[in-house]
Amino acid sequence: MDLQEIMNSPGLWIASSIMVIAVVGQAIFFLRASLKEAKLIGLQREQYVAGMRSSLITAIGPSFSPVIVLLSMIAVIGGPTTWMRLCDVGAGRTELAVVSLAAQAVGAEPGTDSFGLEAFTYSIWAMALNNLGWLVVVLITTHKMSGIVDKLYSKYDPKWIKLLMGGTILGLFAYLLSNQIAPGLMEGNLAPIVAAVASGGTMLIISKALAKHQRLQELALGISMIVGMAVAQIAFG
Amino acid sequence: MENTLQAGVAFNKKMVRLGMITVAFAIVANFVPAIYLWIAYGVWPGVNGVLQVWGIAAAAYGISWVVQPIAYFGVLGASGSYIGWLAGSVGDIRLPSAAMAQKVAKVEQGTHEGDVMATIGTSSSVLVSVGFVTLFTIIGSRVLPYFPQAVLDAFNYILPALFAAVYVEVAKKDIRTGLTGIVVGLLIMYLGTLIGISSAVLTLIIVFSGVVVNRVFYVIDRKKGEE
Repeated sequence: MDLQEIMNSPGLWIASSIMVIAVVGQAIFFLRASLKEAKLIGLQREQYVAGMRSSLITAIGPSFSPVIVLLSMIAVIGGPTTWMRLCDVGAGRTELAVVSLAAQAVGAEPGTDSFGLEAFTYSIWAMALNNLGWLVVVLITTHKMSGIVDKLYSKYDPKWIKLLMGGTILGLFAYLLSNQIAPGLMEGNLAPIVAAVASGGTMLIISKALAKHQRLQELALGISMIVGMAVAQIAFG
Repeated sequence: MENTLQAGVAFNKKMVRLGMITVAFAIVANFVPAIYLWIAYGVWPGVNGVLQVWGIAAAAYGISWVVQPIAYFGVLGASGSYIGWLAGSVGDIRLPSAAMAQKVAKVEQGTHEGDVMATIGTSSSVLVSVGFVTLFTIIGSRVLPYFPQAVLDAFNYILPALFAAVYVEVAKKDIRTGLTGIVVGLLIMYLGTLIGISSAVLTLIIVFSGVVVNRVFYVIDRKKGEE
C-alpha cells in the first residue's frame, strides 16, 4: 500500500480527530465555566463580551501565520497528522524537527523517497512521546504551583507577591521579544527591530492617545501587528 | 473582598479539576494515531524503537518539558496552563489573547476578575486557532497561491511585531520597570548567545530578571515611602 494513501487514510483522520476533539472540548468547557463565573462575580455583560471579542480578533493574525509550515507538513506527514499536531501542544517547527530526528534514526530523510512507512511510524511515535513530556509535567505540577502561589499570597506582603507575579510576566515577554530581535541585531539585520518598534509605537498610541475609543481598543493588537509587519516589509522587502 | 477571595479559591479548584480531567484525556488521545497504525497496518517501532525515539525527543526537548510550564505558570495561572499547553502556541496566541481580554474588560491581572477574563481569553482563542488550522488543512493548498507574495513574506515579521505590542501593553503599567526590563532582557540574550547558553536556560534567567527588576523598584519605592 502506498504511504501517501496510509498517511491520508480515513482511519487516520478519525484517529487524529480525537485529539482535536479533546482540545476543542477543553476550550468549550473552560469558556463556559469562566463565562458563568464572570456573570456570578458581577462583571458587566458588555465588559466580558468585549474582552472575549478582542481575544478572538487578536488570535486571527498569529493563527494564520503557520499556514506555510502547515502546507509543507502536509506534504511530508499527510493531512490528518498535520491537522492534529498543529491543533495540539507543539508549534509546527517543533513537530517538523521531531519528525526529522525520528526519521534520521531509521536512516530516512523527510520529504524524500527514503521516508517510508517505517520512518512515518517512528515519526508518529516521536511526536506523541514529545507531546507527552509537556502534558505530563502540566498534569503533575499545575495544581501544586497553584497551591504554592496561594501560600505566597497569605505568607508575604500581597503587594510584593503581585509584583513578583508581574515580574514573571515582564520577564517572559522581555524574553519572547528579545529572542525575536537580538539574533537579528547580532547579524546586522534590522528588520525585526523595525517591525517591533513600529508595532509597539502603534500600540502605545492606540492605548494612550486614543484611549476613549473603546471599539478601537479591541482591535489594538491586531492593528499594531499589521502596522509592524507592513512597515518592515515595505522597508526591507 | 473576603467573598471574592473565597469565590476565587472555589473557581480555581473547579478549573484545576476540569484541567486535570481534560489533560488526562488528551494524553490518551495523543497516542491514538500511533496505536491505530499498529492495529490497522501492524507497524510500530517495537519496544526498543519506542525507547529510542523517546530518548531522541527527551534529548531535544526534555529541558523544555519541565522548564516551560513552570516558567510560564505565573503568567498563565492554573486554567491558562491547562489550556495553553494542550492547545500550544502559548507565547504567540494564548498570552496575547489573555492580555487583550483583561485590557478590554478593564480588569487587573492577578485579581480574581483578571483570572476569569484571562480564562475567557485563552479558551476562546483556541476556537479561532483550531478553526484556522482545520480550514487551511482542507483548503490551504488551493487558496495560498492567491495571496500576493509580499503579504506572505510580511508574516516573517509577525512575531517581533506581536511581542512588541504585547510588551508595550504589559510595560506601560510602570514605565520604569518596563524600559529596564527589556534592556536587561536584550543584554542577557546578547551575552547568553555569545557564550552559548541554551535557550531553555536563557528563558529562565530572563523571566527571573523581570522579577529582580520589579523587586528593585519595589524596594526603592518602599524606601521613598519611609522617608
